[in-house]
Amino acid sequence: MRRPIFSLKLSPSLKVKLVQAGFQFTSDLVDLSPLQLTRDAGVSQQEAREVLQAVRIHGDRVSLTGLELLKKEEELRSIVTFCSQLDGALDGGLPVGKTTEICGVPGVGKTQLCLQLAVDVQVPLCFGGVEGQVIFYDTEGSFLPQRVVDIATATIRHCSLLAEDEEQRVAMTTFTVETILSNIFLVRCHDFVELMAELHLLPDFLRDWPRVRLLVIDSVAFPFLQLFDDLSQRTRLLQGLSQQLISIATSHNMAVVVTNHMTTRLRGDQSHLVPALGDLWGHAPTIRLLLHWDRTQRLASILKSPCHMAATVQYQITSWPRLLSDVSSPVLPANSAASQVTSR
Amino acid sequence: MCKNRSQWSTHIKAQLKSVRDVLYLSGPDLQRRTALSCSEVQELLTAAAAACRRHRPTTALQLHHSERQRSKSSLRLSAACPVLDLLLRGGLPVGAITELSGESGAGKTQLGLQLCLSVQYPPEHGGLSSGALYICTEDQFPIRRLQQLIAGQSVLRSDVPSSLNSCLCFSDHIYIEHTADLESLKVCLSRRAPLLLGQGLVRLIVVDSVASLFRCEFQADDWLERNKQLLILSSMLHYLSQEFDASVLCINQVTDVFSQSANSLGPSSSSVCPALGLAWANQVMVRLMMLRLQETVSRGDESSTLRRLEVVFAPHLARDGRHVAVWREGVRGVVLPE
Repeated sequence: MRRPIFSLKLSPSLKVKLVQAGFQFTSDLVDLSPLQLTRDAGVSQQEAREVLQAVRIHGDRVSLTGLELLKKEEELRSIVTFCSQLDGALDGGLPVGKTTEICGVPGVGKTQLCLQLAVDVQVPLCFGGVEGQVIFYDTEGSFLPQRVVDIATATIRHCSLLAEDEEQRVAMTTFTVETILSNIFLVRCHDFVELMAELHLLPDFLRDWPRVRLLVIDSVAFPFLQLFDDLSQRTRLLQGLSQQLISIATSHNMAVVVTNHMTTRLRGDQSHLVPALGDLWGHAPTIRLLLHWDRTQRLASILKSPCHMAATVQYQITSWPRLLSDVSSPVLPANSAASQVTSR
Repeated sequence: MCKNRSQWSTHIKAQLKSVRDVLYLSGPDLQRRTALSCSEVQELLTAAAAACRRHRPTTALQLHHSERQRSKSSLRLSAACPVLDLLLRGGLPVGAITELSGESGAGKTQLGLQLCLSVQYPPEHGGLSSGALYICTEDQFPIRRLQQLIAGQSVLRSDVPSSLNSCLCFSDHIYIEHTADLESLKVCLSRRAPLLLGQGLVRLIVVDSVASLFRCEFQADDWLERNKQLLILSSMLHYLSQEFDASVLCINQVTDVFSQSANSLGPSSSSVCPALGLAWANQVMVRLMMLRLQETVSRGDESSTLRRLEVVFAPHLARDGRHVAVWREGVRGVVLPE
């Protein structure tokens, strides 16, 4: 396949020089030595080396067929939410290798779902889990270990009830609250510069911790609200962020989950609730989940997804052990679903 | 931050003053402005990112252990009533914004005053061993009521040794500010509050109330400016609470719910919802609501209208509520006979 030089990741001025010298495609450059390139295109030696390196990296890439991609995707597991209706609608849970946005009004359960996922991604392989680790970017300060302990306890209880064979019973001995907490890496980001910096350092972190399978940003809207003066810069930074998240998700086989606020938009006389950060950001996530209220019921709707049917399911947030914990009280999985699916 | 001198000079040419400026720009943008090669730009970005990092990622386990080591109650500010502390899992969170809304006469200010006294107790009694900053925007500070509450502390806090109750000089540690407009509130929060917090004189800020200034200063049609000012105010409060590890309590008014669209903000248990809309609601971590009920309760020669304190949302609390009553010595939970 012939690849134009303009598509390479090089500085614009360098690309212009190469094209002016008559180089159109990467195939034109493959056989050249740095010295020849310096002479022919009038670039410095260092630039020439960089160009040839870029060509070589791209030359190594092979194209995949649709079948290979399908097989690759089937190997990736999903993160179960333990909310059976939601898992059903999402075809087994939140997909690994894709970006998902959870939006909703304050108090509807965005953070709860994130905390639940941070625990669920650690479910052992023999239970059909992913057995991964989590990196959790907390921008609002709403990550409270107290609640994670609640959810971890409920999830362990749930899994131990499911354990049937010896392998699962052995796996349960290491699936404890302590290990669950130690597999959640927390980063507190106070503003968007800190968030961008951390995401930039993420590849180094992932080299040390290759088992990380989930990245959570709770919430992505909060740090960007500070940029109310310069909307064009906000848009540009958000674009950069969305590209970065997509490349993290695909290159490291990770599920990326971000939460977003809601905002009011006036359309004619009526006001509507829409996800914050504008329309352009809406293209960033692969899957968009909306959590909302219908009177006293909590509902989750799939707003956007290339591979799931639009659906609305009901969910609950349960199991809040009292401060003085009551042993006899029944413990349910922390997010358990009730009622039926209403497809739209 | 930079590896060599030549790199440094190119940054100055590109007018990048601080490390933070580097991260504002995208990779290709940086390349154009600094005329560095791709790999050098990556190096620069990594160096800048490392300089901006405050902490390395910590595990939740480390966080959990360090929280346990600090005595349990210093993470929460006790509401000085076991029933309410049970509802709030220990009290008001430290380092976060809590909102308390309700109709007039629901008892919001009463609870605010009570917390100003509770914060002065040592951590083993649910306090933070520090004072409080009380910012009034609506009314005169209810100083007589405060004196009455101070006198009633020995009754309210019968769990605390009486020697401790008598040696705390409660009124010396409450700093009162009156701000009649938004500008003076911002000055107070940006200049005076950091001084008090920085010296450790204060670890609780009560704003009574946030709604009144916004409701009187802005017309219905400049909601854009209003939202902007709300964000400025909330980011100031966020900064103070996080930087100085303080509790922030914002008292808010309520608005009536007319339209169906307001229903989508939450399950409506009453006909009112907190004022200032979604832009403000996105900024608070814990939202509490005080409702005034029809019944009255009596105790000896005192009687009080029954109220209900409800948790609307919080990341660590269930939606729940407790009946409370306002007595001479303060706000207390009421256990109603079935």
